[in-house]
Amino acid sequence: MASATTVKLVISNEVRLVDVVHAASETVAGIAGFEEDDALNVAIAVREAVINAIVHGNKMDPSRKVEVRLQARPRSMSARVRDQGAGFDAGATPDPTAGDNLMRSSGRGVLVMRAFVDSVEFKFREGRGMEVTLKKTRAGDKTKSSTRPSAAAADNGGMER
Amino acid sequence: MKTTVRTVGQVSVVDLSGKITIGEGDVVLRDKVLELLDGGHSKILLSLEKVSYMDSAGIGELVACFKKAREKGGTVKLLKPSGKVEDLLQLTKLWEVFEIFDEEAPAVASF
Repeated sequence: MASATTVKLVISNEVRLVDVVHAASETVAGIAGFEEDDALNVAIAVREAVINAIVHGNKMDPSRKVEVRLQARPRSMSARVRDQGAGFDAGATPDPTAGDNLMRSSGRGVLVMRAFVDSVEFKFREGRGMEVTLKKTRAGDKTKSSTRPSAAAADNGGMER
Repeated sequence: MKTTVRTVGQVSVVDLSGKITIGEGDVVLRDKVLELLDGGHSKILLSLEKVSYMDSAGIGELVACFKKAREKGGTVKLLKPSGKVEDLLQLTKLWEVFEIFDEEAPAVASF
């Protein structure tokens, strides 16, 4: 089995650099064999994780950094995004598709992440910041798959971020 | 992202192209809609046919534009969202909030 292809990025805490990570994510997804549409899905999910890290995790603090590790394997891809913030409770934030939240102008990032990749895991490590890991397997390599975003994300993954 | 504004009857049709994302397209969209509202143009149709994708900031800006127009007595409606944009509008359930049209003529007539 071929070894993983890895890209590591450390970016300043600037939203204008989100596009850099987006482009890298699309490229790495392509290396993992994802079709163009699914590669864009992966890139959008990683993009949301990076936006969260910059805006909510690092609270726009220009002295902080965001670390991103992208890894392509023959049939899957993973992305790890780490900020330098104080962490948050991923389960304690409101569903953006429910009631009055629907008309809020923010709070849809995690919903989008969960819809566009297979799994999203949040882990806070004291002194190392919040770490979000996203994973996606190529559609043809799963027993049940879809290239469209998961509608289930709207039902159980809605959170503030 | 680029914007072009056409006037069809009393409706300002804003043709958007590119992506509506944080720090770029979202700002362009906000500025254009505010400019129209401040200029007395209260019937705004955002044509999304050439928008490749949005992120959560872009989605949020669409909602903010919708609310801002309503505050000023105006209306924002959407025309021809593309595949990825349509997916996102459905995922976030904003499909149920916005009036969305597949064709321009009925969209313009609906104001």
